[in-house]
Amino acid sequence: MKNESYENIKHSSPSDKTSASARVIAVKVDDLTVAYNYKPVLWDIDLEIPEGVLMAIVGPNGAGKSTLIKSILGILKPIAGSVSIYDKPYEKQRQLVAYVPQKGSVDWDFPTTALDVVMMGTYGSLGWIKRPGQKEKKASLEALEKVGMLAFKSRQISQLSGGQQQRIFLARALVQNASIYFMDEPFQGVDATTEIAIINILKELRKAGKTVIVVHHDLQTVPEYFDWVTFLNVKKIATGPVKDIFNDDNLTKTYGINYKVSIQE
Amino acid sequence: MSNAQLEIQLIASLVAVACAIPGTFLVLRKMAMISDAISHSILPGIVVGFFITQDLNSPLLILLAALTGIITVVLVEYIQKTGLVKEDTAIGLVFPALFSIGVILIAQNANDVHLDVDAVLLGELAFAPFDRLLIGGADVGPKSLWVVGTILLITVALLILFFKELKISTFDKGLAASLGFSPAIIHYGLMSVSSVTTVGAFDAVGAILVVALMIAPAAAAYLLTTDLKKMLALAIGFGIFSAIFGYWVAHWLDASIAGSITSVLGLVFLVVYLFAPSKGIIAVMYREKQQRTEVSLLTFLLHLKNHDELEERHVNHLREHINWQKVRAKTVLDLAQKNNMIHIEKNIVSLTTKGDEFTSKAIDYIMTNEDAQIEDMKDDFFLFRG
Repeated sequence: MKNESYENIKHSSPSDKTSASARVIAVKVDDLTVAYNYKPVLWDIDLEIPEGVLMAIVGPNGAGKSTLIKSILGILKPIAGSVSIYDKPYEKQRQLVAYVPQKGSVDWDFPTTALDVVMMGTYGSLGWIKRPGQKEKKASLEALEKVGMLAFKSRQISQLSGGQQQRIFLARALVQNASIYFMDEPFQGVDATTEIAIINILKELRKAGKTVIVVHHDLQTVPEYFDWVTFLNVKKIATGPVKDIFNDDNLTKTYGINYKVSIQE
Repeated sequence: MSNAQLEIQLIASLVAVACAIPGTFLVLRKMAMISDAISHSILPGIVVGFFITQDLNSPLLILLAALTGIITVVLVEYIQKTGLVKEDTAIGLVFPALFSIGVILIAQNANDVHLDVDAVLLGELAFAPFDRLLIGGADVGPKSLWVVGTILLITVALLILFFKELKISTFDKGLAASLGFSPAIIHYGLMSVSSVTTVGAFDAVGAILVVALMIAPAAAAYLLTTDLKKMLALAIGFGIFSAIFGYWVAHWLDASIAGSITSVLGLVFLVVYLFAPSKGIIAVMYREKQQRTEVSLLTFLLHLKNHDELEERHVNHLREHINWQKVRAKTVLDLAQKNNMIHIEKNIVSLTTKGDEFTSKAIDYIMTNEDAQIEDMKDDFFLFRG
């Protein structure tokens, strides 16, 4: 695969979706600029994500991939631009959106169990003060089953392997029963079995008409896993169907002349 | 036991509970040092509040002092955000500055103020029963009991109402934000509660003990449980135990109550740190020793599996071949024999069927590192447990 050109790969892409213009736009980003300490990490991003795609966001380290997701979700405040989810601001559409942060962003020694972490996914629909009840517990158990982790429901989360922790995070997003899923590097540090299990669930979500946006590192698997892709490196380089735009030209523009080194990682 | 003694123990226990609740979240948020900062930097707030109200238990004084606590947190965060210094440095810069302002204010007005630096640092719990709250001329108990009781009531009410929000924003700030539970509101809410509690407890137990009461019970509880609710309950239990036992230690030794309570807190933590069933030092050391033995056992079994030659499997040769000391070789040999993994015939060691299967499975696991397999192994092999 290493020496194969991406021109060849794109023909084997599973995508059979048509152009973006004919479809409902799930996520729309307009002129988004985000800065840390007045140093822009995302410059003037315009992005339209059509409903029902399974999209990878790719780009080198420091390209602003996580920042883009966090800004869409209102976790980071942009210095310019706006975001809409189905034509409304994110604050009004929280119920439609689920988020899987990077696994490393939380303290896994926190005193809690796998089931409890999954239940956190139900907090959004409960709102302030109200406690989760039997209904939320049942939904959480179902989500655990879906990711094959039901047997581990009472396990303390530090006693889970990296792959199991990632599945718990995925279950927590599933329990939100959202329309749009944002995932920050869900394949990082997981074993091959878990990677396959996760991608199968993501493909199922797409089949159910959901929109899934994934920050992704492994360029090799982009054509196999995704039907839509966004190239990002501080600015947006390109976005569209994998079969049309996943090519050497865009890879070079995004990763510079050394992009092939990244591919072999 | 006199009434005053009972009142002192009651105040100390309520203070302990009021401190243990925010303390648990501070420990989980890795913000233990911020309680130290707050407890010192509220001093100028207390002094200025005392000038205005002339009453150490006035609600206005408590609010003013709590406000200084919040200012401390804001200042620390501001300095840290510039990226020029790290958080611990920022804390170390802010609270001595504020505390020293308080010390100067006390010294300057020493003649008119019933406050001195000793009392601020160590508290005057012994005198608490003398300052009574009178309602319509009737004595309803010590003032500080009412102050601490009110603060505790508010703290418990907030904990019950916002338990879910506190948990999610402590565990996963990003998710909390994306679900609409503003981590900033919860953060400053917790900081406000910590500040108010500190001020309320300050008069009774002083700046140093407040920190101990917030951090030590929570730190000990953290080592004993994997459930947040149980951690809160244990922290509260440790706090009450230390408050009451500490009081009696002070009574027997005729020593400072605050000092004794703090010492007991230290001892409680030490005992838990040493003897906690799974996270304690002794448990960890025992586990490491077990693991060493088990790795040796596996190495030994693998050696047997890989070698058919008789001289490689002779009891006396094993020591040379695997290069172990005599004692360790004997331990491993005994362990393997006890578990029916090997049998020895005419000083030649061979694997039993069970030993053979076990070795294959273990090696298989080590090579594939798959989760599913580790689950079966965990039951019969210590090495793979966490």
